[in-house]
Amino acid sequence: MWKSVIYKEWLKVRWFAIVYALLGILVVGYLFLKVQHDTTFNQTNNYWYLILFKKLNFYRSLQFIPLAGGLLVAIAQYFPETVNKRIKLTFHLPVNENKILLTMMSFGTAILLAAYLVFTLLFTGIAAFYFPTDIIAPALVSLAPWFLAGFAGYYLLALIVLEPVWKYRFLYVLTAATIIPLYFENGPAAAYQPVNLSLAVLTILLSIALLFSGYRFRKGEM
Amino acid sequence: MSSYAIECKNLTHYYGKKMVYEDLNFHVEEGSILGLLGKNGAGKTTTINILNGFLQPRSGECLIYGENTQHLTPQNKARIGFLIEGHIQYAFMNIHQIEKFYSGFYESWNPEPYWELMSKLKVTPKQKISTMSCGQRSQVALGLILAQDPDLLILDDFSMGLDPGYRRLFIDYLREYAKAKKKTIFTTSHIIQDMERLIDDVLIMDYNRVLAQQNVNDFMRSFKQFYLELEDPSISLKDEDFVVNIEKVHNKLEIYTYESEEFVKSFLEKNGIKYQAFQNVEMGLEDAFIGLTGKY
Amino acid sequence: MVKISRYVLVFVAIIGFAIVLPKLYWIAFAQPIKKPFIQYSAVDHDFMIMRTGEDKGFTNTKGETFTREEYEAKLPFMYTRQLLMNQNLPDSLNGVEMDPHQISKYKSNFNLKPEDVNTPRPSLYPLFESQSGRATLEMPEDFFRINWRMEFIDAATNQINEEKSRMFSAVLYNRGFKFPATSINGIPTNLKSCDEGYLIVDSADQLFHVKMIKGKPFVRKVDLPEGLKFKTIQCVDDADKLYYAYLFSEDNHLYGLTQWDYLLERFPVDDVNPDLYEIRIWGNLLNYDVQVLGEGFTRSHIFDRDLNPVNEYAESWPVQSERKEGQIAAALFPAQLSMTDENSEYINFYCKASGSYYWIAVSLFLALVQFMIIRKRNEKPSNQILDLVIVCITGIYGFLAVNFFPNKFFK
Repeated sequence: MWKSVIYKEWLKVRWFAIVYALLGILVVGYLFLKVQHDTTFNQTNNYWYLILFKKLNFYRSLQFIPLAGGLLVAIAQYFPETVNKRIKLTFHLPVNENKILLTMMSFGTAILLAAYLVFTLLFTGIAAFYFPTDIIAPALVSLAPWFLAGFAGYYLLALIVLEPVWKYRFLYVLTAATIIPLYFENGPAAAYQPVNLSLAVLTILLSIALLFSGYRFRKGEM
Repeated sequence: MSSYAIECKNLTHYYGKKMVYEDLNFHVEEGSILGLLGKNGAGKTTTINILNGFLQPRSGECLIYGENTQHLTPQNKARIGFLIEGHIQYAFMNIHQIEKFYSGFYESWNPEPYWELMSKLKVTPKQKISTMSCGQRSQVALGLILAQDPDLLILDDFSMGLDPGYRRLFIDYLREYAKAKKKTIFTTSHIIQDMERLIDDVLIMDYNRVLAQQNVNDFMRSFKQFYLELEDPSISLKDEDFVVNIEKVHNKLEIYTYESEEFVKSFLEKNGIKYQAFQNVEMGLEDAFIGLTGKY
Repeated sequence: MVKISRYVLVFVAIIGFAIVLPKLYWIAFAQPIKKPFIQYSAVDHDFMIMRTGEDKGFTNTKGETFTREEYEAKLPFMYTRQLLMNQNLPDSLNGVEMDPHQISKYKSNFNLKPEDVNTPRPSLYPLFESQSGRATLEMPEDFFRINWRMEFIDAATNQINEEKSRMFSAVLYNRGFKFPATSINGIPTNLKSCDEGYLIVDSADQLFHVKMIKGKPFVRKVDLPEGLKFKTIQCVDDADKLYYAYLFSEDNHLYGLTQWDYLLERFPVDDVNPDLYEIRIWGNLLNYDVQVLGEGFTRSHIFDRDLNPVNEYAESWPVQSERKEGQIAAALFPAQLSMTDENSEYINFYCKASGSYYWIAVSLFLALVQFMIIRKRNEKPSNQILDLVIVCITGIYGFLAVNFFPNKFFK
């Protein structure tokens, strides 16, 4: 039964997921191509100096990649369900409606997690070639909220897409617009250190958001 | 447990302030095929949505196999086959993928009728459902329901977008299947001719009320249309008790009633109403439906 | 589960609104706060105050006003070049000769803001060659860190320079350094007059001065009074070569570490808290001026060059929360949330609770409005009690949140 649910989700998401993963890998590749170029033209010690003391952010181009992935997977997964209200078919399956939504959400989360894991491992792996942990660790702390934003964006868009009433969709978009910027405050490397855990908790809480609009759909709100 | 497949009690629903119906009651017996007829806006889709648990009525309840449709258990849902208006299915799948998908959910999944129907379609194995014609999609949707082998089939406007050939195919297949396997069907369609071939019982709804619920043959026998031409066109029979509906063009009258020819004639004579060209008009279900609900 | 998801959304929305609404409010209604700029005149032995805005002008503490020329003439150490140009620089002041070269040599400027202290600090630093024999400093090829030992990492290869690491670690160890370091303080730029290495605190709160002289380690332990710990150590590069660094202790005292025999001198001033206040330390030929600038006040403490108190002055003004727009905000918002704080470069949830009680009235009013909405929708108030409580506690944020995510559940 769960295999079938996952099968359907995979059919919807697979091309988006694969293309997205490739794009993300290309961005990580570009990042270090640029590092390679900059350290060739600017001495490596100066480059390190700029990173350590002048707030040079060599991974900036990754900033919105996780969010883009979250939104893309959410669209790929939930938009086809709302076309012609196909979600009715899903809710009619002989499975508890909330469980099936949670399974869909978990699948999307797993896909994102897999993609982000690939990016992070690739990033860390290549970075280890150029930089010591003293530069990589703060970079990862700064990357963390961007990845969390990807999950939050995914959860919030699922909520928005499944909501049956346009007025409330708009209100949810407004709410999302207040939340997503929390993950993108500017600051020096590792500035998010004190708040990453709270943001992670907030993001995990958001994962069940889609149950709300799913329920509203089931009860015929219009 | 009741012997009804579907039982709706005191159903009341409003959209905002607009009443759809109040205290609607009806039931569908196991093994019967019931057609829900009604004009646009009479609440057909509302009823289907309540039956499938996609709408919470303001009050009252619908039971399917004794369970409130707002909280159907998975076991009960497995007994219900549901055809969404427009034969909506997961159009991003092809016929193999969708069969594989659904087969995982139903213990009694029987793919034979599905593949039998699919073999009649001229579709390629990798063709997505979204690229199929309406008729082909209807066969996919029907095939899936048949493979699910449910005890109760709820079909929302199955004739929508189908050409006559596919409609006929759909109906014949369905009726044979239902009768052979003692299935219950609850269906709506806005093409009433189709219903005639399919249903045992009819439920006719108008705004806010049920106009008729009975065996379709009994209904057709008891509901009659008489044609006559009045000598005095100013006479109105509209408010007479025996008249269900009347269509009047100048002096030409169509009277719809449950009363017999003799009753009507004696009524006219008793009241001294002069008429000519009296006819007992043969009606199909569609004529009867229009006669009952009016053209407007 | 669905109800939980709604309360999650209401909770998250409250957080979002508590950040965004005050932010929008302040974009719309914030007024600039004019702070006086205070300097000490060794000519008048009084404080000179420059004000901007409506009551702008140059005054002193007695309320006398001055022209710009008069004002500048009273601050010969600040406007030395202007006075020289106008040939107005006095020959001597308080018995000290006013030689432009001497003035320049003894002039020092130090400025520290809380955000410079409350910021993520790197764990790698460049150790310059202090006596390279070159006129300019060069950026070293490697960077050091001090964890279980002192390690130098070559930037070009990203490899540890074992030989150098062992050499420096051994010397540190022999001088009693307890690894790892807890803070490394220096001036990590080659744009300075000369290099004095780093002041490093070890894990036993001992202070060490570490630098590299001709490729060899120089390590000197600084004697500290028992139990003295520092919030931050700020190295300086002043022309008078008096101090290596200003040190701010945990108990909010200010020290200078002299370059002469590592003497730790305490400035006789209290409540110098670099976590909360901006600290300015201006030295000149005659005086030190330690200024502490907090929200709504400034204090200026004048010392002679032997750190004997000479004079002091304080002024305060209404802070934003005491002004009209601040009081309205305090009434509207039960609390104001922000991801950033002016005193820190860290991102966090910074919450400022309302200082007023008017917000309770606003919240109760909104709860009443919510109650009417519930009545109008013919919903049972008993199902909505939690919503009303949320509105009472979180005011406008909760009011918006519970209506953005409607409480419509069926039995």
